[in-house]
Order: sequence, then C-alpha cells, then structure tokens
Amino acid sequence: MEMLLPAIISGLLMGMLFALVALGLAIIFGVMNIVNFAHGEFLMAGMYTAFLTATFLSVEPLLTLPVAAMVGLFLGIASYYLLVRHLLKGPMIAQLLGTFGLMIFLRYLAMFIFGPDYKTLEHGLLIGKSIKWGPVVLSYSRLGTAVVSVIAFGIIYWLINHTRLGKALQATALDVEAAGYMGIDTEKMRGLAWGLGGATVGIAGALLTNFYYVFPTIGLLFCMIAFATVALGGFGSIKGAFIAGLIMGLIIDLGGTYVGPQHKFALIYLTYFLVVVFRPQGLFGW
Amino acid sequence: MGTLKDAFSFGDLPASERIGFVLFIIFCLIFPWFWGGFAQTVMIKFLLFCLYGLGWNLIGGYGGQVALGQAKNVGMSAYTVALLMVWWDIPFWVSTPLGVIVATVESFILGYFLFRLRGHYFAIATIAVSLVWQQLFINWDLIGGARGVELPLKKTPNFLYMLFDSPIYYHYFAFLLVMGAIFYMNWFRKSKLGYQLRAITSSEDVAESLGINIHWVKVKAYCITGVFAGMGGAFYTVNYNYIDPFSVMHLELSIMIALMTMIGGAGSMWGPIIGAMILIPLDCYLGAWLGGSGIIGVDFMIYSMMVMVIAAYEPKGIWGIIEKARRRR
Repeated sequence: MEMLLPAIISGLLMGMLFALVALGLAIIFGVMNIVNFAHGEFLMAGMYTAFLTATFLSVEPLLTLPVAAMVGLFLGIASYYLLVRHLLKGPMIAQLLGTFGLMIFLRYLAMFIFGPDYKTLEHGLLIGKSIKWGPVVLSYSRLGTAVVSVIAFGIIYWLINHTRLGKALQATALDVEAAGYMGIDTEKMRGLAWGLGGATVGIAGALLTNFYYVFPTIGLLFCMIAFATVALGGFGSIKGAFIAGLIMGLIIDLGGTYVGPQHKFALIYLTYFLVVVFRPQGLFGW
Repeated sequence: MGTLKDAFSFGDLPASERIGFVLFIIFCLIFPWFWGGFAQTVMIKFLLFCLYGLGWNLIGGYGGQVALGQAKNVGMSAYTVALLMVWWDIPFWVSTPLGVIVATVESFILGYFLFRLRGHYFAIATIAVSLVWQQLFINWDLIGGARGVELPLKKTPNFLYMLFDSPIYYHYFAFLLVMGAIFYMNWFRKSKLGYQLRAITSSEDVAESLGINIHWVKVKAYCITGVFAGMGGAFYTVNYNYIDPFSVMHLELSIMIALMTMIGGAGSMWGPIIGAMILIPLDCYLGAWLGGSGIIGVDFMIYSMMVMVIAAYEPKGIWGIIEKARRRR
C-alpha cells in the first residue's frame, strides 16, 4: 500500500502527457484514416527544439513551448504537402511504408546532426525541485507538465468542438466528399490536421525535455505508447485519447512498481494486443 | 511432376527477363574467380539479403501485409543453430532443420493470432512483438544476453558443421539457397496459394466472397516467410561465426528487409533481388567509406528517402518503373 498512492499519482501525471502525445495521432487518423508512423519522431523534433533553444539562448525551458509548437506545426504541414498527399493515391501498403520511411528519415537525420548521445536539460524553473506530501513526492517538472498538457488538450478540444474551423475539420473526417460539396476546402483541412497533430506533439516533446533524456531514437518508444493509447481510446476519438492516456500512465507506473521496471513496456504492448484483438474499436471508437 | 515443371519453367516470362536471370546466374558462379576480399563479403551479404527479401516478398509483396518482424525469425533460427552447436556440439545439418522449425512454429503461432488484425493494426502489432523479443533476447543471460554467442573453433574445413576458412564455400552455399528460393518463388507465383494471396491483396472482401479462407492463406504465407528467414538465420550463424541480438534480432534488420524489397518492387519476382543489388553494396561501401569519420545514419537516410519517393509515386518500386517503360515501348 505504501507504494500504491505514489504510483497512481505519478501514473496519472504521466498519463496526461501520454494523452497529449496521442492527441495528434488521433486527430490525423480521425480526419484521414492514415497512421502516422513518424509521430514519435515529431516528438523527438519537439524535444530537440526545446533542448537547443533552452541551451543556446539560455532561456527558461517552459518558454520554448511556442517554438516547439511552431516547429511541430511546420513539420506536420510540410509532411502533408510534400509526402502524405501523394501517398493517399496509392494502396494501403504504400501509405504505411511511406510514413514509415518518414520516421526512419527523421530518426537518422537527428542521429546524423546530433549524434547518438543522450542529452538532458540542467537548469529551469521546474527542473530538480519537488514537494513532499505524506508518502508522495511530486517533482515540479512532472506536475507542471501534467498541468500544461491538460491545458493544451483542453484548447484543442475546444477548437475542434466549438469553432467553425473545428466543425469543418469534423465534417472532413466524417465524409470528405460531402464536406467538399459544402464548400469546405478539404485539402486545407487535412493539412491543418497534420499541422495540429505536429504542434500538439511538439509541445508534448518540449514538456518531456524537462525531465527526460533527449536522444535520436526516443521516438519509437513514445510512438508505440501513442499507438497503444489511440487503439485503446478508439482511433480518431479525442475524448478516448485522453482517458486512454491516463489508463496507459497508470499501467506503466503500476506495472513498473509491481511487476518490475524492465517489463513495463511489454505491458503496454500486451494491452495493445488485448485491445485490438478483443475490442478493435477501442473504448470510444465507432 | 507438374510442380517441378512450374518451378523450373520460366517460359511465361519475357525473353529479356530470362536473359537477365541467366546473366545473374553466370555472374554469381564466376564471381569468386574475379573478386575476393571485401567484395566477396559484400557479395555474400547480398545473397543473404536476397534470401531474406524473397521470403518477405511473399507476405509483404504478394500478400500486401506490412509484417515488420522478419528479424525475430532470423534470430530464433540463428540462435537455435548457434546454441545447439555450443552446448551439445550438434552439427549444422541437424540443427538447421530444428532452427527452421522453431522459426516456422513461431510464425504460425504469431500469425494465427495477429492475422485477426488488418492493415495498420497488424503492422503496429508486428513491431510490438519484435520489440518484446528483442528486449527479451538482450536481457536473457542464459543465451548470452547482449554479449551474443560465439561458435566454437573447429578444424576447418568441416562440412558437417559448415565451418570453412574460405568465403568461397559460403558464397556457393548462399548461391544455392538463393537459387532454391528463386525456383520456389517461381512455382509459388503460379500456385493456387500465390493466386489466392494476390486476390487478398487486391481486395480482402472480394477474396472472401470467392470462398478463400483469407485468415488461413495469410497464416500459411507467413509460415513460408518464416522458413526463408530461418534458412537465412542458420546461414548467418555459420557464415559470421558470431551472433548477438543486435545483428540478428533487431528491429532494424526487419526494417531493412522491408525497405529493400519495397524499393526493388514488392510483389514481383525480381523486385527483392533488385532491391538487394542496390542497397547492400550501397550499405557496405558507404559504411566502409564513412565508418572512420564517425558519421552515422546516412545509409538509412538514403534508403528512407528512396522509400518515400517510391511509396508516393510508384508503389510497385523499381520493377514497376521497368514494367511501365516496357509497356510504353
């Protein structure tokens, strides 16, 4: 019992970040039925952006969030117009291997530019501080990350459900042709979905830099977590992504505590199998 | 008899392809007389990847399923052969069938469950399984963990253990394996299973409505892919005398095999060979050239760029471009 409460709290906090990572994947999949294998690499790009900006301009890491969001936005839109638009004409296997190629490209580009070393931020408003509250030790960076994640998530949720732009995005997701007849520029909406996806995951990356190492091959791990999260929440469901993110955080932290830290990612994959085999539509999918 | 005739008859292919095939055979046969040293190493790696690619082409090309888990079958067979040789001194010719069986059974069990999934669900699941196996093999001390397994030294040449001191033997052994694979594929593309698999690729729903048991056909194809990977793994062990989880079990190997086949032309007879012909020399010579300078990742950047261009403009790969040019003429 001694370890249960800290594990639950840390799991929920981490889960909020997972939800933000998965959000972009869910938006992209919801709007155009394509899986972005490069999603984890977008996160890596966000992390490097935050790391480099904070190190070389010696600014507070939290102030790098907008920069990382811009880089993510640009990366998402560029991938759509330069690559994904052309992939959509081809068969399923070409779509899969196309974004897969993008993933490998970004990953080894980072390896080429930054080398394989692990890097970490040392100074910042949140870094290295914590509060103690009974048996629970909360580090500021985890807490701050969770708060910002939820705020970012809320903004995107509001944007999609309560603005004209979001309505157009949803219409494109439901039926591209019908949305086109209603005068919606569906091509632009798809580009926007990729841009939003990139921006949210860029922010998530910048937040993650506060308490995690930065290295070129980090993407695959978070990409797999995001896939599992989105599968659990239902591909394309934003509400599902949030709740599934929290569940994933709990699984990782409780599993790490009670089963053993070396197995915690195997648990994520196990969850993924169980979900896709027994409930392929996920918790909130249709 | 019909089966044998199908395997060895290339009559339905255009003359240019048959000439190309004969030239390929002649080139492989005379290669060791003209080149040695590093070029010979590259050549053996090329033949090995031809074998991997021809196997992956079954499920990935003809079957249209993005299965990114070839490496675990290669690794299981390689580990079976290596460990049996290290622990109980069991000859290559006994342990190889066992290794292939291990790889095939794993493919069967995995395929049986995973082929309930389609498209991207399946692709992600194969990556997840590969990562789990990779992690397991790296941390499993009994089989050497991250240090890997080294084969015991024997008096060479030793045909029973397939340990030779000259790469020429390995060259011809690999060549025989690749020829076997090519003849098998030649039979396969004309077989019932081959037609069923291609029907599934073009439309699963139509194939199902024609009475094809799509789940069973995919599992069968996946098992055959496992056999190819198993043979490759067994060959890898005796050729390099040393295996570790990073060389035979790693996701990067699976990725490389899939990208290579995709670039050459997935779902065509010669695609995997063309892919290997381009990527393997590129990989080896680029690696040798850049290796000293500490620059890493350039090779994968080049492949991935090629794959992105091919996926966007010509999903049938280089072979698709060749066929288009031929039709236009």
